[in-house]
Amino acid sequence: MLKKLAVISSLILTTPALAVNSPINGQVQAKCSIWTETQGVYGNPLPNKLDTLPASGGTHASIRVDIAQANFYKTSFTHPISFSSSPTLSDTVVWSGSTVVGQVSVTEMSAYEAAKVISPSNVTTFDMTLAGSTWFTVSSTALYGYNKSLPAGSYVAQIVAECIAK
Amino acid sequence: MHCKVKLLLSVVFVFWASFGFAHEMTPAYPKFVTSYIDDVSVTKMKLFNRRDDVSYYKIEVWDNNWEPVPFASTNKIIKIGHNKSVSFDVYVQTKDLKYVVYICTISKNFKEDQKVTVIASRICSKID
Repeated sequence: MLKKLAVISSLILTTPALAVNSPINGQVQAKCSIWTETQGVYGNPLPNKLDTLPASGGTHASIRVDIAQANFYKTSFTHPISFSSSPTLSDTVVWSGSTVVGQVSVTEMSAYEAAKVISPSNVTTFDMTLAGSTWFTVSSTALYGYNKSLPAGSYVAQIVAECIAK
Repeated sequence: MHCKVKLLLSVVFVFWASFGFAHEMTPAYPKFVTSYIDDVSVTKMKLFNRRDDVSYYKIEVWDNNWEPVPFASTNKIIKIGHNKSVSFDVYVQTKDLKYVVYICTISKNFKEDQKVTVIASRICSKID
């Protein structure tokens, strides 16, 4: 009788252990990250010119894009066609610029350069077909009027880096 | 040797991924569900700011031709600290749902903070 009682009570005592939860945790991570590694700086090699070219005293902007999942995103880079802040300018500014693939974490990413699409003229789009990191270099040049000096002051222009889900 | 290089590259990659100035948003392919308001649908997004030069992001909703679609959110411009994440809801009238293609966040910069060429970052999720 005592044995039976012991078996029944041990069964009752072990039953709650069967209900222990075993949660599975997960975290949704971003599949595309834009890293602003180097802000560009304009050099002023000529009185009427601002240029991010290192030979002109400037620094090109460097932007890294990390793609965690291949073929999910495309990236676009818009180089400036106006100043976001500057002294008052009385003449027109002629803008030019480009975006090129710099370092890559996967060798095959070098093909992005040949496959890039430029449309409109200041927007360059890359199809991110591989997972990994790609560094993009954005350059910008502003030429002011004809034989005119740019007024003294601080000039700021904006680059837009975009990651768009496909 | 090859394995050691791979390991080193992984460590460097993790190091780079941990320190820097990044803008991230999830999910990549959000889905709208019925909200508690009649004829209004909602989706939840999460923004992560690792840019120490940016504290504000603007929410945008676009159609397939990059035309804006009317939407509501608690704040259309989100204030967010460095290395912080913020969840936000995007509400769209159910009748406009068929037009919604992209939900984006774009960094906003203060003019007085700008001393060099500024990089604005925009991340767009696509409606699944």
